[in-house]
Amino acid sequence: MTDFTQTLRRRIARRPATLVAIAVSLVLLVLPAFVNAYALSSYRDVILFAIFALSLDVFWGKTGILSFGHATFFGLGAYGMAVTGIHFEIDPSIVSLVGLLAGVGLAALVALLVGYFILFGGVRGAYFTIVTLALTLTANHIAVGWSSVTGGDSGLIGVPPLVIFGLSFVDPFRSYYLCLAVLLAFLFGSIAIMNGRFGLILTAIQDDETKAQTLGYRTSLLLLVTFVASASMAALAGALYAAMNGFVAPDMIALLLSTEVIIWVAVGGSGTLIGAIIGTFVVWWLQQEISSFNASAWPIAIGSFFIALVLFFPRGPVALVSE
Amino acid sequence: MLTDFIPFALNAMTLISILLIVSMGMAIIFGLMNVINLAHGEFITIGAFVFVLVQSFGGNFWIALVVAPFVGYVFGLCLEKALISRVYSNPLHAILVTWGLSLILQQLILLTFGAAPQSVRRPFEGSIEIAGATYPIYRIFLICFAQAIFAITALIFKKSRFGLELRASIQSPEMTSVMGVDPDKINARAFASGAALAALAGVLLAPLTAVTAFMGINYLARSFFVVLVGGAGSISGVAAGSGLIGTLETALPYQIPNTVAQALVLILAIVMLRFRPKGLVPA
Repeated sequence: MTDFTQTLRRRIARRPATLVAIAVSLVLLVLPAFVNAYALSSYRDVILFAIFALSLDVFWGKTGILSFGHATFFGLGAYGMAVTGIHFEIDPSIVSLVGLLAGVGLAALVALLVGYFILFGGVRGAYFTIVTLALTLTANHIAVGWSSVTGGDSGLIGVPPLVIFGLSFVDPFRSYYLCLAVLLAFLFGSIAIMNGRFGLILTAIQDDETKAQTLGYRTSLLLLVTFVASASMAALAGALYAAMNGFVAPDMIALLLSTEVIIWVAVGGSGTLIGAIIGTFVVWWLQQEISSFNASAWPIAIGSFFIALVLFFPRGPVALVSE
Repeated sequence: MLTDFIPFALNAMTLISILLIVSMGMAIIFGLMNVINLAHGEFITIGAFVFVLVQSFGGNFWIALVVAPFVGYVFGLCLEKALISRVYSNPLHAILVTWGLSLILQQLILLTFGAAPQSVRRPFEGSIEIAGATYPIYRIFLICFAQAIFAITALIFKKSRFGLELRASIQSPEMTSVMGVDPDKINARAFASGAALAALAGVLLAPLTAVTAFMGINYLARSFFVVLVGGAGSISGVAAGSGLIGTLETALPYQIPNTVAQALVLILAIVMLRFRPKGLVPA
């Protein structure tokens, strides 16, 4: 038993991020005891955004390739959920599951196709970033333009509330804990995977892809798998968001959201996984403060943040603190 | 048949001409410094708003056509010196910085001029008849003028000393600087020239579209596609990319919904990357 606790202690000492992750989980677990139902539903949305940020960090933080198109996947999840729920006559008891499958499946398919062509074409780095940026722009045009299906500029309202296997998640406590469970499963799942063999290979690819290839790893395939997994995670967050808030709008599939999620991850320090979650909460709080001042203030703050980040903290604010 | 075809061909030529001027700056900056300038669209917006300002002071299109590239050049030069030159070594940082810049510029323009679209007076009213089809004179002028600018720029790129140093730097920056060419100077001048061309395109575009703080973003995406499809750092690549993207974007909406057409252009650019990652005509 002492052996076990010693091993555990040594492991935690080696990976302080895990300890932070446990602390954050505990805070989020007891949070509902201290806030009212309205605030709880805001925190639930932030948790969904944190899942979204985590999905980007799994790809960007671990492969070093920045996707500027992650809002596409969040949005595909949300629109997949909304369109299946509103336009098709599906039995109410299974409509949420079908919607989740449709949203996540659609996003995974798009990520698979786009990822196949660009990753296997040898595209990395900056090119990857602009192709994914163009992907978001196009997706947004489609969401605005294809109004018979997507509702155009005003989006869609009346997404059926989440019911899974007869269990309804309309109640704010239940929906909060469902989202938290998904977040924690993804968080500890990705920590375990990234600390294991798969994560090591990704780090090797990030450091020197040619070397990793020489060692026999099919690097494009591994990157594609990570990209599709990351996109599916983002889409799940989007689908849950649409079901729990009851609407979708084109700003869920827009460039500004793609930009914001990069900030959430960057503020927490990319590659740390738990940082993405902390970053989401910090930036969300900042956004409330800044947006109340002027509508233009928030985009200007984001822009200034990017410039400051690169010029003064090229390795992220967290890296600065840990140094 | 012919009366249908001529307006289509001229519409395609209008878009191609604008793309030629806008994308050239982006292609050269990318080929030369490996920087993807996400604030490139804002240079178009700035050009258009220079026109708005010139008009509000009693000036006209022709004055704006001279002033805007100058403003673009100076603005581009300042930006390059202050920000862009610090991020050449890291393309990801360049993307974040130029994107940040783009967001700030959009909002500053929005705060200064308001959200309502500005209107500008076009220099030529009326249409002319070409082989039985009527077409606005201004668009004919735009096509000729833009092609002339493109030809002059291509000539500078191929024949002048600056062009020679530029092409040499794109091929091998180290060797070029060993030969006594100051890379900082080349980079700064290339970046500023790209900005000037985009600002010029902004003036040409202003009479045809709604002049708003966000007008640049559509052309930003299109000029990505041009550079992706055509290839970075080569004039012929810009011509090939602009021709292809401009024709497709004009032709497809005749047959299929506009949104599907845009998606198809994106798909084409992505599929191209798999088979010709360096573009149709690489540098």
